[in-house]
Amino acid sequence: MSFISWHYLIFLPLIIILYWQLPHKGRLLLLLAGSYFFYGCWDVRFLALVLATTCIDYVSGLSVGGQRTGPGRVLLLAWLPAAWISGCYLALPHYGIPLAVPAVAVGLGLAFFALHEAIWRLSPESGRPRFFLILSIVFCLAILGFFKYFGFFVDSAKSLLRLTGLNANWTTLQIILPVGISFYTFQSLGYVIDVYRRVSPACRSFLTFATFDAFFPQMVSGPIERGKSLIPQLQAERPFREIYVQDGLTMILVGFFKKVFVADNCAILASYVFDNRTPLNAYWAILGVVAFTFQIYGDFSGYTDIARGSAKLLGIDLMQNFRFPYVARNPSDFWGRWHISLSTWFRDYLYIPLGGNRGTRWETLRNLGIVMVLAGLWHGASWIFVLWGAYHGALLILYHFPPLRNLAPPKEDRFSWRWALAVPLMWGFTMVGWAIFRSPSLEHLGAWFAALGNWSGVGVLDWHSSLTWLLIHAVPLVLLQLLTWKYQDETGLEQVPWAARGVIYAVLVLLVVSSSQHDTEFIYFQF
Amino acid sequence: MKRLITPAFILAVALLVLAELVARTFFARDFSGRFEYGFDSEAGFAERADGKVELFRAGGRRFRPQTFARKRPDGIFRIFVLGDSVPRGPSSHGAYAWCLGQELEGLGVRAQSLNLAVAGFGVRRCQIVLRKILAYDPSLIILHVDNNEYADDREYRRSQEFKSWHPRHWPMKVYIFRRLYELNLEKLFWMLVPEPIRARFAVSDADAQIAASLDADKIKEWQARIKATTAESVALARRHRVPVLLLTQCRLDPDFPGGLNDNGLDAMAESLTGPGVYHLSMRETLLGAGNFRAYFRDLSGHLKENGHRLLAQAILEILRKQYASLGLAALKEAEPPGAARPESSMTAGKPPAAAAGSPPETQSGEVGLRSFASPAPAPGAPPGRRPDTPE
Repeated sequence: MSFISWHYLIFLPLIIILYWQLPHKGRLLLLLAGSYFFYGCWDVRFLALVLATTCIDYVSGLSVGGQRTGPGRVLLLAWLPAAWISGCYLALPHYGIPLAVPAVAVGLGLAFFALHEAIWRLSPESGRPRFFLILSIVFCLAILGFFKYFGFFVDSAKSLLRLTGLNANWTTLQIILPVGISFYTFQSLGYVIDVYRRVSPACRSFLTFATFDAFFPQMVSGPIERGKSLIPQLQAERPFREIYVQDGLTMILVGFFKKVFVADNCAILASYVFDNRTPLNAYWAILGVVAFTFQIYGDFSGYTDIARGSAKLLGIDLMQNFRFPYVARNPSDFWGRWHISLSTWFRDYLYIPLGGNRGTRWETLRNLGIVMVLAGLWHGASWIFVLWGAYHGALLILYHFPPLRNLAPPKEDRFSWRWALAVPLMWGFTMVGWAIFRSPSLEHLGAWFAALGNWSGVGVLDWHSSLTWLLIHAVPLVLLQLLTWKYQDETGLEQVPWAARGVIYAVLVLLVVSSSQHDTEFIYFQF
Repeated sequence: MKRLITPAFILAVALLVLAELVARTFFARDFSGRFEYGFDSEAGFAERADGKVELFRAGGRRFRPQTFARKRPDGIFRIFVLGDSVPRGPSSHGAYAWCLGQELEGLGVRAQSLNLAVAGFGVRRCQIVLRKILAYDPSLIILHVDNNEYADDREYRRSQEFKSWHPRHWPMKVYIFRRLYELNLEKLFWMLVPEPIRARFAVSDADAQIAASLDADKIKEWQARIKATTAESVALARRHRVPVLLLTQCRLDPDFPGGLNDNGLDAMAESLTGPGVYHLSMRETLLGAGNFRAYFRDLSGHLKENGHRLLAQAILEILRKQYASLGLAALKEAEPPGAARPESSMTAGKPPAAAAGSPPETQSGEVGLRSFASPAPAPGAPPGRRPDTPE
């Protein structure tokens, strides 16, 4: 179910009304059932993967925390995904699920059970948490790797063999990418690592943990929440407060505005420019990348705002995922403002374990490069995303050297000549990154860069009216951001005087509805 | 609850309600038939207290603005042109309906030629307009027959869908939302986004249309429907004793003999001709003119102004031949078009309207009440019925 569908506009109020009528345990049951329904609307089969991640990390989390789960319960949980996929096999024959799939699910469940029991029985107590952590990481990354990267690695291996003169005629599996798999896998893994580090206690309640893993507002596109933040909120009993509705609806409205008015309308130009058939010159190349710059920001931060607003209506605070990223002063600042939940995830669970900036300068730069390449690969199984990650890694590395380092303005968002120079420069670097990110192929990326040298208007469409179209849909977003800038919260309208706020609400509603027929899917669902 | 409904919320709701009231008060007419998608009999027609009928651009039917008397004044030859974007023409005065009026005027006929063509209209929606205009004493109906069945089907489906309870239609039932959406679409999207980009963006509908137009069964079904509906329209007009001219569309098609494809419409129209029912083939007309490509504006069959003038001349030729049955005695004496008028629109390279002192671009004023002499109706003949019109 997409946030911008009419289904969601019925689903959400229903959940909210029921939620506040129920006792605490009933609320969790409702959220879990609602979350599985929300996810199952895309493809009911892939709920087996959600269940698998949930069961593995629930049991692993308890074991890492030193709490023994009975073998019968472990086996039951390990076979829960198999039971679900078997049910789909029997009840939904039109999906054509091969019999091998439930069989593999049963086998994997059994393997997890056996390994779990073996670690409990055979490993020394001091090393046990580490083994359970490894067990969780291996199983979760295996699921993610198979469903997201199997085809990519097989194709890449084939290409490599072809380059060496060998011809590989393997038949690759046509694997469908489950929606949001990268998000919920990382969230779940982050929880187990936090338990291992004793940052967060193990969650004893399966109901609470399953709700944490599948919480519908942020399940498919983030923010990637931390167990220590979300689980206590799910566990706490809280009374209804009007502020939840006020803040939640404001966030949802701003999110819809960013997605429907800004992103979907800018997408029209970006899709044209980043198309192999389109003849480009410098004007169109720049127009296209600026359009995509607004599109991806409106799309993803709009999703986050709707997610945060939906959670807020349930009395739950999700983390801020964007904080005016296009006024970043340098590459490091950019990653502190863009997709904050992912960048902090990589910082906490990869960069710091690799050594962070504690070693030599060379080690720090190496760590930055590794993290950014993997962050690029996280976005998609394609060399384009690897290149995008490497590009941002290179920016971060270069930022550690003069003269870029010397250009760094003060940390506060205060106007100065260095700030005025650094922000447009970083915006330019970010846009080059988006050109890499959006290009359908390396060939197209080459053509895009080549077009930057062609200022002739021959053979291309006139771009002036398209620029007007872009400005019409980008300027209102800039104005909104200017308004909320001083509160450092992109949806922070609550501090604006009420009369101005009332007018803003009305204008946002009108802008959203006037564009509502151009709806397209959120970009980050594919990740 | 008190804190739930904040002043800002109340203000926002009040502003939206106020905007809606303004829209319903001042733009209500624009919405007439909006959600019938052209399947509404009244959309675009306003019968005024002074006995005039005003054609306006309604959401559901975008006529070119024109005004005429409900009852045809004596001595006026009133022509209604029905069809799609081709007869609608590139501008009010660039369409053959206007050119024909000018040609008739030049020959001394007091004519009122009204353009009721609307883009995308197929035979079914044209018939709904036809039923309405039969009340306005037409002297001749020109039915421009084209294959727009895909658009008619799609719009009919939309009109039916829109009547459903489905929540996805709820926002668009609010006037102000719908108005803004249409403004965004027409004033921004269509005007600012270049056509090639729009075409790629609207690929799903275009793909569906192409797929349907390649489906042999679908084409057969459409052709049968065009024939049946056109025959029904002709019979309807004849029951009201109104002559009909069927003008059949053609398109550029290098694979078709002669380079122009009529999609079987010529044969269909020929089969319907008879007393009071005439046929003009656009294909034959253009082939006869030579260098027919010069008359086309695009591959979808739209004509440039010179193409419209050519068609007006061809229609005039038919009227001249049928002057007796049409009650156009003035045409009997008139010389064939172009024969003694070397500075006419055809040869001078500018529209007849321009040659005769072009009126303003929009046709919002009274159309047609010419001061030229015209044959009086036969004594005893009822309005709208000529003595030599078959029963």
